[in-house]
Amino acid sequence: MEEFIISEKKINNVAVLLLEGYLDAHTSGELEKAFESLLTKENHKIVVNFEKLSYISSAGLGVFMAYIETMRNNSGDIKLCGMSDKIYNIFDMLGFPVLFEIVKLEEEAISKF
Amino acid sequence: MEENDKILIKSSTSNLSLVRGFIEHKAKSLNLDLLTTNQIVISVDEACTNIIKHTHKFNDNQIIEIESFLTDNKFIIILKYKGEAFDPTKKQNPDMNEYFAKYKVGGLGIPLMKKSMDKIEFTHTKPDLNSLTLIKVI
Repeated sequence: MEEFIISEKKINNVAVLLLEGYLDAHTSGELEKAFESLLTKENHKIVVNFEKLSYISSAGLGVFMAYIETMRNNSGDIKLCGMSDKIYNIFDMLGFPVLFEIVKLEEEAISKF
Repeated sequence: MEENDKILIKSSTSNLSLVRGFIEHKAKSLNLDLLTTNQIVISVDEACTNIIKHTHKFNDNQIIEIESFLTDNKFIIILKYKGEAFDPTKKQNPDMNEYFAKYKVGGLGIPLMKKSMDKIEFTHTKPDLNSLTLIKVI
């Protein structure tokens, strides 16, 4: 079974989620839980680091769509970083770079807030 | 037709990783590049996810048969499964500008599947046999 692991850290006022493994219809619920937990803690400034993510399907994309509006309505955002070409290709195929800020490095994503 | 492979899985999202492994292994044996491999893998993942969620409604007593083979310059995957007919080729892709403007959620599996492959065919044989064919020119 392929795994999906989320690590969380806080840098300045920004919550950083580091995703690792495989994000699909079986594992996307874990990411939803992580976002719910951030909302409970009133963390609305979020960076998601994809550096260690091997795979994403539409179920994963759906989680980002489900939370972006709430974060922005609360003066926050979800900024994405560290994508491999393979992962970026999936975001790009559906035009996600129009809605989401996607940068290379985590520090750069954090500095965008 | 050459190098025909087939697996049968129980209709559960816990088996998506098995499906991806099966397709990835086949793609690697053909020396396909990473992006092409991932596009084929994701289209099969999305197809299976839709079948598991919408056709089989998470009933893991149901089975999905996945067959892959290479013919001429085409990588072909055929999914056979029982259930009500739903033809993904008839579903229109969302207008992504409107999708993003309204912060919509869901419904991206079929668009991803279509954008990743060159051709998709669906047939339904009464009473309940479905066949979904995904074709990638390589």
